[in-house]
Amino acid sequence: MPTIQVPMNRVEGDLEIKAEIDGGVVTRAWCSGTMYRGFERIMIGRGPLDGLVITPRICGICTTSHLLAAASALDDITHAAPPPDAVRLRNVALLAEHAQSDVRQAMLMFAADFVNPAHGAQPLFDDAVRRFAPFRGSTIVDTVRETKTLLEIVAILGGQWPHSSFMVPGGIVSLPSEADLMQCRLILRKYRSWYERRILGCTIDRFAEMRTLADLDAWLDEQREHADGELGFFIRYARALKLDQVGRGHATFLSYGSLPIPEGSSIEGRNGSAHLVPPGFLHQGILEPFDPMNNAEHVRHAWYIDYDGGRHPFEGETKPYASGDEGTKYSWAKAPRYAGQPAETGPLAEMLVSRHPLLTDIVATCGVSAFARQLARLLRPTVHLPVMDAWLRETDGDAECYRPPGEVPDGDGAGLCHAARGALGHWIKIRDGAISSYQIITPTAWNASPQDCSDTPGPMEQALLGTPVADPANPVELGHVVRSFDPCLVCTVHTLRRGRTTGSLRVGLGP
Amino acid sequence: MKRIICIGNVLVTEDRAGFDVFQRLRSMPLPPDVEVIDGGLACLDLLRLVDGADHIVFVDSVADDDIEDGLVVWDAEQVVSACNSEHYGHGSGLPYLLKMLPAVAEHAVPPIQVVGLAPGYSDRTCRQAATLCLLLVGASVARDGGHA
Repeated sequence: MPTIQVPMNRVEGDLEIKAEIDGGVVTRAWCSGTMYRGFERIMIGRGPLDGLVITPRICGICTTSHLLAAASALDDITHAAPPPDAVRLRNVALLAEHAQSDVRQAMLMFAADFVNPAHGAQPLFDDAVRRFAPFRGSTIVDTVRETKTLLEIVAILGGQWPHSSFMVPGGIVSLPSEADLMQCRLILRKYRSWYERRILGCTIDRFAEMRTLADLDAWLDEQREHADGELGFFIRYARALKLDQVGRGHATFLSYGSLPIPEGSSIEGRNGSAHLVPPGFLHQGILEPFDPMNNAEHVRHAWYIDYDGGRHPFEGETKPYASGDEGTKYSWAKAPRYAGQPAETGPLAEMLVSRHPLLTDIVATCGVSAFARQLARLLRPTVHLPVMDAWLRETDGDAECYRPPGEVPDGDGAGLCHAARGALGHWIKIRDGAISSYQIITPTAWNASPQDCSDTPGPMEQALLGTPVADPANPVELGHVVRSFDPCLVCTVHTLRRGRTTGSLRVGLGP
Repeated sequence: MKRIICIGNVLVTEDRAGFDVFQRLRSMPLPPDVEVIDGGLACLDLLRLVDGADHIVFVDSVADDDIEDGLVVWDAEQVVSACNSEHYGHGSGLPYLLKMLPAVAEHAVPPIQVVGLAPGYSDRTCRQAATLCLLLVGASVARDGGHA
């Protein structure tokens, strides 16, 4: 039975996919994080506030997400209650990162495979090349141009970028002026206008009217702008490539809950939730309340010293063990499980747990797929951009943004939020005034996890099963499925990466 | 404005050269028209700092067996020629940024050089790299390596 190895490090840096193919389809798959990270070990013995400075450097894309998770964990220990405007501005900064990431991932990463020579016979291939040819496609160039200003919002609100550390326990330490807030709204307005014109081909308000797959199909045929927009093209081409028929996975979805609704906000959480993205665990179509104590990490198939079953992050440890059990252990990523089950996280999980009508109907009608995951990511800005504007409008330039929580006492704290790729958690323990334990579970740890102690595959491993592979020498089909999860192994694997070999030289040994 | 942008990961020994040179430059007197920036792990997001500048020098970790004295200067074209990925990714670095730059810049692309430090660099190499950065952006340099 042929086995192929897909070096996703061409894309993500540190992920390798191994797939067994029988009869032209994937019958087994293994996701392997190939780098030991060790941030958890770096944190031990440091001062309680050090996570605010160190953890944002875990990833060059999700710096704000890690800062928020670190600050939230300290909020938890200190019982801090950040003022409403601090909550608003934390949320807006996080969403700026999301808004940039969603469109960049879709256009620069996922769509790059649309121009793979394997698809050369597709009727839409020439159009795909015009849009997505690396470095020169019209959509590629336009996406880079338009998304580059979004993080100025973080710089304005945080007073610094890169390496903003403005979120602290008790709120934020920067004091944006009315002019700062106005500038953020102008940046946002410009981006929204581009997103509506270029990506959607219609206004967000018009798009929000759609509640079913039938509505979406009718919208697609309604005007030429709809079909020709990037979303319309994605729908047409992805269906032609049958991406709506691959990448199903376990169909279990997890949301920690993210973006707390600030006191007095005009924005309401769906179904009365205290969060814009409500918490929940969806499996077999049943939505259950989220209990953070149900999180656990397994290491049977990861290169760490074994323990029985799974451990909650407060009881977790990160002790690398790279010798022995080479047949069993195959990844530097641990295997997070919720109530013992693998769970997918990310935009689709957020949409389904939120009971977003359109995505709920699409999944109910056609099932989970790579297409559904990407559609959710492309559509998430339709939810986030209007909320960002509302929260910026609601923020008072002279309002209180920080309530001093006092010294950080000994104790345990959890900071849960969502990064662009899904559920992110920091669990910190302070003893004798220093960090005694710091565990991080990233979204990609959930999605690209190896098998657990019951040998159950991780979400991405499961999603690859059944994927047809026409040419094992060019398994682009596997790339579509894997990239629909937007894996970011840079922060998932738990010192060193040997750098990107780039011919005779290597530049930038990487994040 | 001339900018020296130091990139890399302070928490990864093999990748912290940019940060170490940044620290060295921050301790030196700088001309008023030169900014020194800790670019960290950012890739495409450095575009705002590059576009519209008069001159850019990047500082980064490099690995090349043929580097003499652990220090090398490349121009942008040499770095672009090393970009062998067509995907933008979470690990995309300087080659992707520089290859994308001509298509997305709103202003004329400024002169760009990359100062690279090979693994195992010494304090002396780090100091030399800082001085070299200043020379490359046209600053006059005093005997102690700082701006004259």
